[in-house]
Amino acid sequence: MSLPSATNAGELRSLAVRIRQGDASAETELVHEFSHRVFVMGVVRTHDREAARELVQDVLMAVIGALRKGQLQDADKLAAFVHGTARNLINNQLRSACQRPPMEPLHEDLAQACRAEQLEDAERMRLVHQAMEGFGQEDRKILLMTLVEGHKPGEIAAALGLTSEVVRTRKTRAVKKVADLIRKKMSRT
Amino acid sequence: MNCEEVEERNILEGYLLDRLTEPEREEFEKHYFECGTCFSQLQTGLALQTELRRQPAMAARARGASLLRAWVWAPTFATIIILFSAGIWWNSAHNRPPSQQVPSPLKVSPNVRVQVQSTPAAPSLEELARVEPPPYSGVVLRGTEDEAHETFHTAMQFYEKGDYTKAIPGVRAAAKANPQSASFNFYLGVCYLLAGQTDPAIVSFRQTVSLGDPAYSESAHFYLAKAYLQKKEVARAKDELQKTVHFHGGLESEAAQILRQLGN
Repeated sequence: MSLPSATNAGELRSLAVRIRQGDASAETELVHEFSHRVFVMGVVRTHDREAARELVQDVLMAVIGALRKGQLQDADKLAAFVHGTARNLINNQLRSACQRPPMEPLHEDLAQACRAEQLEDAERMRLVHQAMEGFGQEDRKILLMTLVEGHKPGEIAAALGLTSEVVRTRKTRAVKKVADLIRKKMSRT
Repeated sequence: MNCEEVEERNILEGYLLDRLTEPEREEFEKHYFECGTCFSQLQTGLALQTELRRQPAMAARARGASLLRAWVWAPTFATIIILFSAGIWWNSAHNRPPSQQVPSPLKVSPNVRVQVQSTPAAPSLEELARVEPPPYSGVVLRGTEDEAHETFHTAMQFYEKGDYTKAIPGVRAAAKANPQSASFNFYLGVCYLLAGQTDPAIVSFRQTVSLGDPAYSESAHFYLAKAYLQKKEVARAKDELQKTVHFHGGLESEAAQILRQLGN
């Protein structure tokens, strides 16, 4: 399973060039590199996981289509290009679902890569659930108040009788603990 | 934007909660499209947020499950009662005059037992319509709330004590003052439902659904189904249960089970 990579600019440039040259494996690499990011962006912007999943396919197909045709002028800006395409398609969808342009389906390799992303998402959710069972009541409350109720560390500190610094530290530590667990478990598979 | 700024300005939380300005959001997205560390934290934050939003529904489900466990034991209890009754009957039969024909209890009780175990009674519509109150744990932040929130939290103190009728006026006032709040509308629906006022409950749950808040949509469909079951409108209840299932959230399996029991 792939993890959020920090592919350097050189590798991304080479990816763009290889896709333009018709290298199918580069297209699969691009899906692995960006599908998670586009999915997260889609979920945050649309509040709909299913819509976000569909958007991942649409965005990646549009990007790959453009790269095949050599429409990306500056290969160094691949990440920004994917982001811009995702933003435009999400905005279009939010404006009107029925105005979405018809997209040709992904070919089987790419569709499989997208399905793998869906499985990873389910596995990630399972691991988060598992990690949260190990949290104390107060850590859960800090996460709930931060990530769901949207309170600032100072407000949480006042409500729980802690200092802002403690709230901040405990939140960061909890998120890191979960992220480490996910990284550890998912890198094994 | 860099990683330090993301941390210092709570950008990640703001992004997940849709509280950034458009330029901030744009800048952060551009950053995490290139930064593996920030993206990893964002991905974890999103998963945590999703899990935390599911928790109230899951807690309610757990309570439902414990109720369900009690039903699972029902055939066993029934068997014990029947065996006990058979024992009493057998005892009294042996004390009768010898001229009376007495069927052997040893032949009766195993048959009864098999029958009870193999055909557990299907839950009635009333049982399926039974509602467990979703948990509420409002933390009141002094000085940070508007009037509607204060009214809501005060009213919800009655809810926490199980006095749903008394909670209604305050929760209704909060929902009226802030009709865009999914939580106000959702808990108003729950209060109505638990107080036996099904029709206004349906209106409140419909309002919650229309607001499209992912934290309450799944639960609103589920409790809407419960409201329709109370009104014995099975087709509508099924429709809402199917919508609940489509969320693939914490109430998915419970909704699917009710659908099966309704003969979907």
